[in-house]
Amino acid sequence: MTDLPIDPSSTIPKKAIVSGHDSGQAGIGAFLAMSRRAIVGFYRQPSNWVVGAAFPLLITAVSASAFSRSTSLPGFPDADSFLQFLMAGTILQGTLFGSITASTDLALDIENGFMDRLLASPVSRVSILVSRLAGAATFGAGITVLYIAVFTLFGAKVNGGLAGMLVMVLLSTIMAIGVGGYGAAIGLKTGSAEAVGNSFPLIFILLFMSSAFFPVETMSGTYKTIAQYNPISLVIDASRHQVLQGFDLGEATKGFVIAIAFASIMIGLALSQLRSRLADAS
Amino acid sequence: MSASTPTRTTNVQQTALGPELHVRVGPVARALVRRSLVAITRVPSALVPILLMPVFFMIAFTGSYSAITNIPGFPTDNIFNWFVPYACVQGAAFAGIGTGFSTARDIETGFYDRLLLAPSSRASLILGPVGTSIVRSSFPFLTVLPLGLLLGADFPGVLGLLILAFTSATVSIMSGLWALGVVFRMQTQRSLGLVQVGIFATLFLSIGQVPLAVMRGWLHGAARVNPTTNLLRMARQGFLGGVTWELTWPGLVAAILVVSGLGLFAVSGFRKMEK
Repeated sequence: MTDLPIDPSSTIPKKAIVSGHDSGQAGIGAFLAMSRRAIVGFYRQPSNWVVGAAFPLLITAVSASAFSRSTSLPGFPDADSFLQFLMAGTILQGTLFGSITASTDLALDIENGFMDRLLASPVSRVSILVSRLAGAATFGAGITVLYIAVFTLFGAKVNGGLAGMLVMVLLSTIMAIGVGGYGAAIGLKTGSAEAVGNSFPLIFILLFMSSAFFPVETMSGTYKTIAQYNPISLVIDASRHQVLQGFDLGEATKGFVIAIAFASIMIGLALSQLRSRLADAS
Repeated sequence: MSASTPTRTTNVQQTALGPELHVRVGPVARALVRRSLVAITRVPSALVPILLMPVFFMIAFTGSYSAITNIPGFPTDNIFNWFVPYACVQGAAFAGIGTGFSTARDIETGFYDRLLLAPSSRASLILGPVGTSIVRSSFPFLTVLPLGLLLGADFPGVLGLLILAFTSATVSIMSGLWALGVVFRMQTQRSLGLVQVGIFATLFLSIGQVPLAVMRGWLHGAARVNPTTNLLRMARQGFLGGVTWELTWPGLVAAILVVSGLGLFAVSGFRKMEK
């Protein structure tokens, strides 16, 4: 690191450049610039997010018609329609699908050598990682707003009103960051965008073995136990409560605790992979 | 060996068109099937979509939707009887996608150009991949079915099993021809996204998840005219009561019509690619 050519006109302290840590205004500026790059790069390629946004809606359209009579089953939560029941699950599904795609960009940065240039620059290592998750976070928030609008258009409303919707947007954003962190950890471990893509089935399995598509109350046996304690179920149930019953701070808090814990673990995992990568490189 | 001196041992026949030589369809198609199966043993991850995905879907669907058998009009009270045949058919459809992937890869790497330059029958270049689809469709059949029976599905009888095996093979031919038709036209692995969307849409817009009697709204109309509905009725009948001609002949008609249509689609795509 000490051999790096330092631009005498740079406003960043020499000490920061050598240690790889920036501080203050320059650090925030670099973080914002990298976040902007991540967001623009993600949305510039519609193939990144169009399928992730459209596919869950297609599944929902089919399921809402196929399982519409299920709302009368014993144990089924009190919902106006199956479409209304599906809203929270569909939102999280869209969030997870898009976020894993967004996290492949970090692996692409490694593949094309851009990551090496970032690591050679006087930018905080945490900023490099966290800014990369900005694309996933904005996707999580954006897809939630879009889906709420689409569901409302088809007659499914959020009984929790604006406060309930805000809870849903925040939960999706945090989960998007968590899944982005999971993808980033794999990307940093393998340095391969393909490996990040191939890790998608695990997310898919977690989603299916949850309350996303059908209520846990109607399930039975081992499957019910797995779905009940699946963290994805706990976040979906918190979000679903805002849709079906109305705004409830207690339920929202439960969801936030799970989502923040999930995101923290995943970001911690990604940071640990980043440290390992740096140690291997030095 | 010179191409201009065909002998009996080379299995090559001279055509009436002149110096052009054609190896018979069968040996080339079989060689392509064998090559594709060897490729599977070398890339085990290729088995994931055709082995693990149908097993996972069977477990996920039977676990998530176990209560739907209580809806009035549902034809069985055992959810495994409903989803096990569906998972077999689904796995067969994924087998066709795998065939499309390997053909697209061969086109991208230039191997397909060598096949086109070889003195082989053009028909074998379609029949080979389709044969591969059929062989691959046996993998999910041989994994999902025993597991499903173990988990609680009723034994459908020998005739029911044969009909399910026949339907799986037919669906793998359909998805293989669909994949080839798209891949021949677009000549890239990226085109497989379109192939997957087509197959998923066909399966979703059918009686895959619930019977017509339980559906409401637009899906009912779509599933009623979707030929996959007749194929699934044919595949499931052994599990839902017994094999009858009333449930078999619409499936056979659907199979003949769809295979013919997709066959034409694949052949016309092949001709376009040759030009």
